[in-house]
Amino acid sequence: MCKRLVARANKLPLRSTTPRGLQFENNCEIGVFSKLTNAYCLVAIGGSENFYSTFEAELADVIPVVKTSIGGTRIIGRLCAGNKNGLLLPHTTTDQELQHIRNALPDTVVVQRIDERLSALGNCIACNDHVALTHTDLDKETEEMIADVLGVEVFRQTIAGNILVGSYCSFTNRGGLVHPHTSIEDLDELSTLLQVPLVAGTVNRGSEVIAAGLIVNDWTAFCGSDTTATELSVIESVFKLREAQPSAIVDEMRKSLVDSYV
Amino acid sequence: MVQYNFKKITVVPTGKDFVDIILSRTQRQTPTVVHKGYAIARIRQFYMRKVKYTQSNFHEKLSTIIEEFPRLGDIHPFYGDLLHVLYNKDHYKLALGQINTARNLIGKISKDYVKLLKYGDSLYRCKALKVAALGRMCTVIKRVGPSLAYLEQIRQHMARLPSIDPNTRTILICGYPNVGKSSFINKITRADVDVQPYAFTTKSLFVGHTDYKYLRYQVIDTPGILDRPFEDRNIIEMCSITALAHLRAAVLFFLDISGTCGYSIQQQAALFHSIKSLFMNKPLIIVCNKTDLQPFDNLSEEDKKLVMEMKAEAMKTVIGQGGEAANDEGVLLTMSTLTEEGVIAVKNTACERLLDQRVEQKMKSKKLNDCLNRFHVAMPKPRDQIDRPPCIPQAVLEARTKQAKETAEKEKRMLERDLENENGGAGVYSASLKKHYILANDDWKEDIIPEILDGHNVADYIDPDILERLEELEREEGLRQEQEEDYDFEMDGAELTPEQQADLALIRKKKSLLIQEHRVKKSTQESRPTIPRKFDKDRQYNSERMGRQLKMLGMDPSKAVDRVRSKSRGRKRERSLDGVDTMDVDDDTPNKKHRLMSRSRSRSKSRPPNEVIPGEGLKDPIQKSKAIKLAKSSVKKRNKDARRGEGDRQIPTIRPKHLSTGKRGIGKTQRR
Repeated sequence: MCKRLVARANKLPLRSTTPRGLQFENNCEIGVFSKLTNAYCLVAIGGSENFYSTFEAELADVIPVVKTSIGGTRIIGRLCAGNKNGLLLPHTTTDQELQHIRNALPDTVVVQRIDERLSALGNCIACNDHVALTHTDLDKETEEMIADVLGVEVFRQTIAGNILVGSYCSFTNRGGLVHPHTSIEDLDELSTLLQVPLVAGTVNRGSEVIAAGLIVNDWTAFCGSDTTATELSVIESVFKLREAQPSAIVDEMRKSLVDSYV
Repeated sequence: MVQYNFKKITVVPTGKDFVDIILSRTQRQTPTVVHKGYAIARIRQFYMRKVKYTQSNFHEKLSTIIEEFPRLGDIHPFYGDLLHVLYNKDHYKLALGQINTARNLIGKISKDYVKLLKYGDSLYRCKALKVAALGRMCTVIKRVGPSLAYLEQIRQHMARLPSIDPNTRTILICGYPNVGKSSFINKITRADVDVQPYAFTTKSLFVGHTDYKYLRYQVIDTPGILDRPFEDRNIIEMCSITALAHLRAAVLFFLDISGTCGYSIQQQAALFHSIKSLFMNKPLIIVCNKTDLQPFDNLSEEDKKLVMEMKAEAMKTVIGQGGEAANDEGVLLTMSTLTEEGVIAVKNTACERLLDQRVEQKMKSKKLNDCLNRFHVAMPKPRDQIDRPPCIPQAVLEARTKQAKETAEKEKRMLERDLENENGGAGVYSASLKKHYILANDDWKEDIIPEILDGHNVADYIDPDILERLEELEREEGLRQEQEEDYDFEMDGAELTPEQQADLALIRKKKSLLIQEHRVKKSTQESRPTIPRKFDKDRQYNSERMGRQLKMLGMDPSKAVDRVRSKSRGRKRERSLDGVDTMDVDDDTPNKKHRLMSRSRSRSKSRPPNEVIPGEGLKDPIQKSKAIKLAKSSVKKRNKDARRGEGDRQIPTIRPKHLSTGKRGIGKTQRR
């Protein structure tokens, strides 16, 4: 059941699920307003229930889908970082929000508020259930906290020269998508660190802020409604959704990719 | 990349409208009042401004027309030729040229008349010159009226041209009229081209879009072409020819093998051979349409031979691309748009061949090196022995298998969205955030947790391990109690020896003394009349002692003691005391003064005029009363004459007449 929420592709007979555009109040950067992991999904509180219900329909049978704000803002995807083991919240989180999240998440998920100067943790930390990439300037204590709470190995890295690793890549236990300017050597190195296949690509019709346009866990992915069919198929292949395999990118999709990129 | 969008060209007004627009703008946006009494330089400047302003407006408007209309030389040759076919290049260029000339002429007229205005010696002459200048400009515009009308027509037509991108993936459909081109595009795209059973239903180019392998293809339907010399072809056919000549596309040549279109296969083959030069270097597919009426295998031998000849020609394009000559599938295809048999195969073959050709070209380009990383899938090399499995919940896997079995009957979950729609829609419905809490007891969900209690943030006092700690504390306490029972120790006076008790009493006494002394010190901290410290080292001269001593001397100490005691200072109290004193003294002489005094006790008393107030600069009441006398005598004369003094109320001129009457010039608001 790996459904995707997809942009306006209107004549794609191959698609089995109904294609739906996903936007948050007319904004395609859905990764800013939501956070998805293998154990829970956080969604910003919006004016209508449309955005929330899209997640609810796909996920609520399996994992809790929680409406929350962080520090009174809606940009929760950029402020928090987490995986199935835990959730890290910035120091701007209020006591009430912390309590709300703790109440709504299962006890197996450790919710921890950390004192870190760089409070947009979502931009500074990218992680799956085993490995995390972090901003190079994070505190030593924060690094330890990440390792403890999320139960991951922590690597300080950059992606294509960008220190905001959380913004420019998105990966799960099965695969990952990184900034389109990442060189082949960097790709190989990162892939070895993370132990998942990686591809350089874009979302939302050429946007290079991957994590803003795409949220993904091991069996589901959601992306902004501007995402093109080519981008979608790359995402589907690299994250192994719907029995697709990353090798498809170099095999059957190669021609289409060459024609659209060059 | 250049966008070919002719919809954004601004409207070209007719000659008359043009003049009206410009003149009314001049009238509205330049000053309108001038007097013959003004300095001549000012009058000249007034009219020069009008002439120059009109000219600049004309220039601006004409320039936008010239710039916004595409230059046939600069745009893509496909559009260049298409515009030439539709509107005639010469005519188009001539019209734009005339507009350009008009712009220059107007510039020249303005220059001339501004020069003449410099010599205008009266308001009348200046005005006459201005009228002449504007009149000549308008005449120029009126003369290019037909060109403007022509350009407006072209603009309207161009806005309706399909937006064809000449550089993207394109599939071009061509053939004789009525062979099923439009039916085909309707099948594979959503273009909705009109289909009718007569020739030349399609009179211009139509565009539709279709998807194949994640990419979008532009499909162009062209009007039918007849087999006749190039010069005899009409505009409709020339549109097709232009598209064939300039677009790098996959070409589908449609062949009606049933002959119901009114042209035999022979005629169609003749057309193919006459325009085959246009198919060079393009993937070409010959599509035999209408197989529902006439299956391909049932064709006569002659017709088959003709078709095979065409196929041989088409194979050359494959060879031209460097493909293998032996691979002849995908060159000749049969289909029926009526039964939809073979339609998708034709589309797929066309897209595939076009994609192959484009990729082959792009692989040679330098830009490919910049994108190489995007065709690379980095596979991880194992760095340790740790297994990092994906985490997919069992429920998902179950749902997946279940879905595979029974996709049809899947109960729909009641979503928040549905609840919202039922309960008044967005903005009205507000969902409870606590609905899905995972707590030990469901009744706790809606509990209200105070944020602030007694001025303290409750969350600061929340301790998740509070129960454990309590237990630990209780355990500790129990331990301690046991110990105390074992060793009962108490601090008590009964245990002390008599010597120790005496010491304790001494210590306590000393302590209380120190406290008392401290209290005494504290009570005299305010500024009370006290005996200076050097005469009263031990603080023994107090009022009690004074009273005692006075009594011993046989005097009544009450008044003295009363005076010595500290009091809050205040006028009122002082005055009443004075009154008492006076009454004491003048007890037996009641007079007017006394009455006044006694009454004044209940009223507040004003300060006498000659009382000296510190800071006034006067030495004593005498000096002050002298000063008052002098001041009075100085205004005596003026008051007698009822003249205005400095203490009188004065209203300044609020709206000076010279600033609020008359007409304003071109200067500032505060000057007239």
